[in-house]
Amino acid sequence: MSSSTSAGGSSARFSPYENLKYPYCDEDSKYEKLAKIGQGTFGEVFKARCKKTKTVVAMKKVLMDNEKEGFPITALREIKILQLLDHVNVVSLKEICSSRSSNYNRYKSTFYLVFEFCEHDLAGLLSNISVTFTLAEIKQVMKQLMNGLFYIHSNKILHRDMKAANILITKQGVLKLADFGLARAYSVTSRQPNRYTNRVVTLWYRPPELLLGERNYSTPIDQWGAGCIMAEMWTRSPIMQGTTEQNQLTLIAQLCGSITPEVWPGVEKLELYNKIELPKGLKRKVKERLRFYIKDAYALDLLDRLLALDPSRRVNSDEALNHDFFWMDPEPAPLTPMLSRHTTSMFEYLAPPRRQAHPPVRNVPHPAPTKAPNPDQHFERTY
Amino acid sequence: MAGNFWQSSHYQQWMLDKQDLQRERQQDLKVLTEDEYQKVMIFFANFIQGLGEQLKVRQQVIATATVYFKRFYARNSLKCIDPWLMAPTCIFLASKVEEFGVISNTRLISTCQNVVKNKFGYAFPQEYPYRIQNVLECEFFLLEMMDCCLILFHPYRPLTKYCADLSSENELLPLAWRIINDSLRTDVPLLYPPYLIALACLHMACVIKQKDIKQWCAELSVDTDIILDIARTLIGLYDVWKNYDEKKEIAGILAKMPKPKLSPSRPPSEGPNGQDGSNNSQNQGQSMQQSGMQSSGP
Repeated sequence: MSSSTSAGGSSARFSPYENLKYPYCDEDSKYEKLAKIGQGTFGEVFKARCKKTKTVVAMKKVLMDNEKEGFPITALREIKILQLLDHVNVVSLKEICSSRSSNYNRYKSTFYLVFEFCEHDLAGLLSNISVTFTLAEIKQVMKQLMNGLFYIHSNKILHRDMKAANILITKQGVLKLADFGLARAYSVTSRQPNRYTNRVVTLWYRPPELLLGERNYSTPIDQWGAGCIMAEMWTRSPIMQGTTEQNQLTLIAQLCGSITPEVWPGVEKLELYNKIELPKGLKRKVKERLRFYIKDAYALDLLDRLLALDPSRRVNSDEALNHDFFWMDPEPAPLTPMLSRHTTSMFEYLAPPRRQAHPPVRNVPHPAPTKAPNPDQHFERTY
Repeated sequence: MAGNFWQSSHYQQWMLDKQDLQRERQQDLKVLTEDEYQKVMIFFANFIQGLGEQLKVRQQVIATATVYFKRFYARNSLKCIDPWLMAPTCIFLASKVEEFGVISNTRLISTCQNVVKNKFGYAFPQEYPYRIQNVLECEFFLLEMMDCCLILFHPYRPLTKYCADLSSENELLPLAWRIINDSLRTDVPLLYPPYLIALACLHMACVIKQKDIKQWCAELSVDTDIILDIARTLIGLYDVWKNYDEKKEIAGILAKMPKPKLSPSRPPSEGPNGQDGSNNSQNQGQSMQQSGMQSSGP
């Protein structure tokens, strides 16, 4: 077996490959990097500008962490899925660039995924107390989120990493689902149960069926995340910040009631149902606990349905879009006026951690009467 | 796979035409005749099939790998990267893309060694010389060359639908399916949309089984000329096979095949893994090289 050093030697021994033809893939040097704006599932994200057209883009570097895997499967997934999808509420992959391989990089080029640039992500916006959303604006955010989910789900794609940081918002107020590094196509042929990995979705947004070991899951896993994000539009920080999978399930039970076969027929068949400790006798308190933050009865009702424990009873994106929440006054209103007051980009990566900013729901049995802004919160933007 | 063929990179970037293929092949066709070039492509499709079967991947992975292979050489001379290296690289990438998982590095290389030794010894008498490092390097070139266009649509799915519609899953499907497998040994996957390939293979299966589906075809709104074009190409393949003994002829053709040139910039003692066999072959300026890649200079 050749060691890695000797393999480098093997390449160097032959005349360079620069004369190979690259009919499509442009060189990364056509962009200049402006700032680092994030850390994706498989690499750093930069804001960059095309030297020629001056178009601003986001460039995601493909990190080669696992040498044995070759080109990372997460990057392959993101590429192939985004090349299939074309929707205003899904981030668009403009192209793939690479640094040319040469003697200097041991004939291994670096790949970049080049995306349209979005000024903000939802986590960044929510962590900035000077950004406030009216009810009509929240409806606009949620409507676009559901539209995006409806589109990807109709294309048989599961996102599998819903969280506020993966929801981008342009300065024109257009929402884009981003980071498809964990996404995959799902099958609906029910002849054989699917055996997907359940080690997906950031813990705080992970639905109960995944935590209980379900491997034959489907679109409801993204709907749960959408519910968590919806609540966050008012609470401004993730509503269930578990520390372990066990703890996350406890938090879910404290909010959504005990997980039992009565409210969720069939749950007892899930792999971990009997192996994990589930709090008993807890009442469902979704509306009750969130009423302090959310005054709108329709919003509470939709949220209650998105955070249904039983995935088969959780509302899908189509049902959600038909919910009265989107159709009763005030109607969804454009975000542009509000966003135009903020000229700096807001990304979670650049914001101070939100965890301390506001206590999550579990810590607020009797919430303080006013939402006092955290005096320690300050915002330094790099540009 | 989800998505719409008509919006895919497969349709928008990778439907080539015959003139285009012909032009790109000019360099190789100075050395090989068209007939020999076709035999090289048939041979490596067989090699990919052999690797895939040994690795027990699905036919979908094999089909994707074969088309990746064809895409690469549709744009590059055979001498740019040794096809003996490109073949396992295509399998390695296709397995990830088709969600079949990452093939273990050692397993991939040992499979190459075994398959070459046990099944293709008539074409390649030496030991399989490449290492995983070469495959990982080659994967980058393949991805760049394809502009990361990874999703492929194959004729198998439309064929299954057509046969279900004809209630002929038992009679026509298995035969037409095998004809699709054979179509991977031609340029057809680079030239035509998969649903037309499926129809052409179905048509041929009907001719063989003497089954009349004219009524059913009448309701399709497709260009029958294209279907017949595809069928003609496939019949051409069967004609080649009729009078061709791969075991006897291929070694000679492969010896003629344009190969990456050795650039003697460093002494072989600094070679990659110091394995005698492979270094010797390099000293002799033989086909196989550790890296297998070479510039396609004039």
